[in-house]
Amino acid sequence: MSQTVSSRRPTASLGVRAGRVFRRDWQLWVLLLPTLAFFIVFSYFPMYGVQIAFRNYKAAFGITGSPWVGLKNFEKFFSSYYCGRMFANTFLLNLFGLLFGFPIPILLAIMLNQLNSKRFRGFTQTAIYVPHFISTVVLAGMIYLFFSPTNGIINSLIRLAGGKPIYFIMEPGWFRPLYIGSDIWQNAGWNTILYIATLTGIDPQLYEAATIDGATRWDKIKHIDIPHLIPISVMMLILNCGSLLSSNTDKALLLQTSGNMAVSDILGVYVYNVGIAASKPQPSYAAAIGLCLNVINFGIIVLVNTVSRRLSDISLF
Amino acid sequence: MTATAKMRSVRIRETGRDRVFNIVNIIFMIVVLFITLYPLWLILISSVSDPDAVLQAKVLLWPVDFSLTGYEAVFKYKELIGSYLNSIFYTVVGSALSVVVTLAAAYALSRRFAGKKLVNLMITFTMFFSGGLIPIFLNVRDLGLLDTRTIMILMNLVSVWNLMVARTYIQTTIPNELYEAAVMDGANHFTYFFRCVLPLSGTIVAVLSVYYGVARWNDYFTGLVMLRNRSLFPLQLVLRDILTSLTSAGSSDTFFAAYADNLGGMQEALRQADVAKYCCIVVSTIPAVLLYVFMQKYFVKGVMIGSLKG
Repeated sequence: MSQTVSSRRPTASLGVRAGRVFRRDWQLWVLLLPTLAFFIVFSYFPMYGVQIAFRNYKAAFGITGSPWVGLKNFEKFFSSYYCGRMFANTFLLNLFGLLFGFPIPILLAIMLNQLNSKRFRGFTQTAIYVPHFISTVVLAGMIYLFFSPTNGIINSLIRLAGGKPIYFIMEPGWFRPLYIGSDIWQNAGWNTILYIATLTGIDPQLYEAATIDGATRWDKIKHIDIPHLIPISVMMLILNCGSLLSSNTDKALLLQTSGNMAVSDILGVYVYNVGIAASKPQPSYAAAIGLCLNVINFGIIVLVNTVSRRLSDISLF
Repeated sequence: MTATAKMRSVRIRETGRDRVFNIVNIIFMIVVLFITLYPLWLILISSVSDPDAVLQAKVLLWPVDFSLTGYEAVFKYKELIGSYLNSIFYTVVGSALSVVVTLAAAYALSRRFAGKKLVNLMITFTMFFSGGLIPIFLNVRDLGLLDTRTIMILMNLVSVWNLMVARTYIQTTIPNELYEAAVMDGANHFTYFFRCVLPLSGTIVAVLSVYYGVARWNDYFTGLVMLRNRSLFPLQLVLRDILTSLTSAGSSDTFFAAYADNLGGMQEALRQADVAKYCCIVVSTIPAVLLYVFMQKYFVKGVMIGSLKG
């Protein structure tokens, strides 16, 4: 078949073929155009602009006109006192978040799947997805209100129990628990979706056979549910490891106070504070930190992806 | 009939241990529901309670001395109302544009054409690497878009994730035979996209609208970086000042001090501050939560389509 086609058009030159392709596909390119323009202007222009990390950026000279300083900004960052602390803060926040946040959706999915009443299960599912739709600002506001040292409900309870009120939002030791705890409250329910879908995909005959053999619910969880959940859980775990050094800047920024700085100063927040919010912004220095971070994160993702493909045949790209 | 009989026999055979398991499970779920819903309930009842009762933390299970003074106060914050309208504008116009642009690209990427691999690579690469906050900011400044409504619409116009979801949806639900038939009848890509793909894409339009809509409504960071002019601020950015700016006294009263005259003096403004904050939370969160409650199935569908690899 293909031979006949090629023999029918043996002498079509490159130009003619390009013309034919163009006539066939130009409308697709028109449909793609806004999206391509968006990514070029708002993603690839900044990638070109990242060269300011190697320059001493002055607004008057623009991106390409500012003097070249090589690796000076990077040296300044890596030799600064805050560098180690910020890497540690970023890493630990993500690590603890993963450690506590990862198993809970799996547990929730298994337990939800065992509920007898369909109505109760449906209601619970609908309810535990709700916090996902609350904005970061409101979530932070809830933390400020509930954990307020003067009128907050938590401190009222502590006082009622005879304890001394704690100024949670100013205590460095409470930053991570608040951040991670609120994260779990907000997203654990939503993150069950994939696991529940996996569980509902299990052949019901397996459960029936197990019941006939006298398996209890606990046995079924141990021998049917958990083995079915392992592949997807491992995949999610590996993918989550790819973001161990990423920063959820907008949330950390809202929970950062003068009191908890020692723990809440993570890389993304620092970049914003130094590069934009400061009274004398240092765009080149901040861009250098951002670039370091993006390169490291990109490396981690590529690594994680390779590992995942080797182990489970599942990969992002 | 036989099925129900079978179900019944299975249920009868439930052992004592299973019954214990069920009870434990139901208790566990009630605890989970309590942890999830109580904070939301607390916000709701605090927002309609007497300011003094809220300050003394007496509101725990039910509104105390029902009053709507908080809501009355909220509607006096002109800046809040203005930002609310801004957010509606950014959300509605931005999401509509996002959906149209995303769908068009998703359709194109669901077809085969020369150069598609390159386009795919170019788009996915942005998911894993970016210039970073500062170059993005400087780029917008150089384009002259800082402090404009335009940037609030254009920033985050297309999400790669949503684009993938839409492409996967089109690839898996619209059969290729339809395209072949349409081409036979003389359709080109435009006519096929508008006359065949769009009418069959109701679900994905809903999924994209709710995803883009909620993300835009809840976003404060774009405004924080790109806007200085307070009259352009989206709701979340004004809320940030109300809810999370601390003073030495430990409460965020700066915002309320500015409205002290409207509220009958500083003392009164501070007395109402906490209730007003609860009211702000209710008023700002209701659109997103309502959208979720009415469009539940589309949200869950979005996750499911996204988990299929296209």
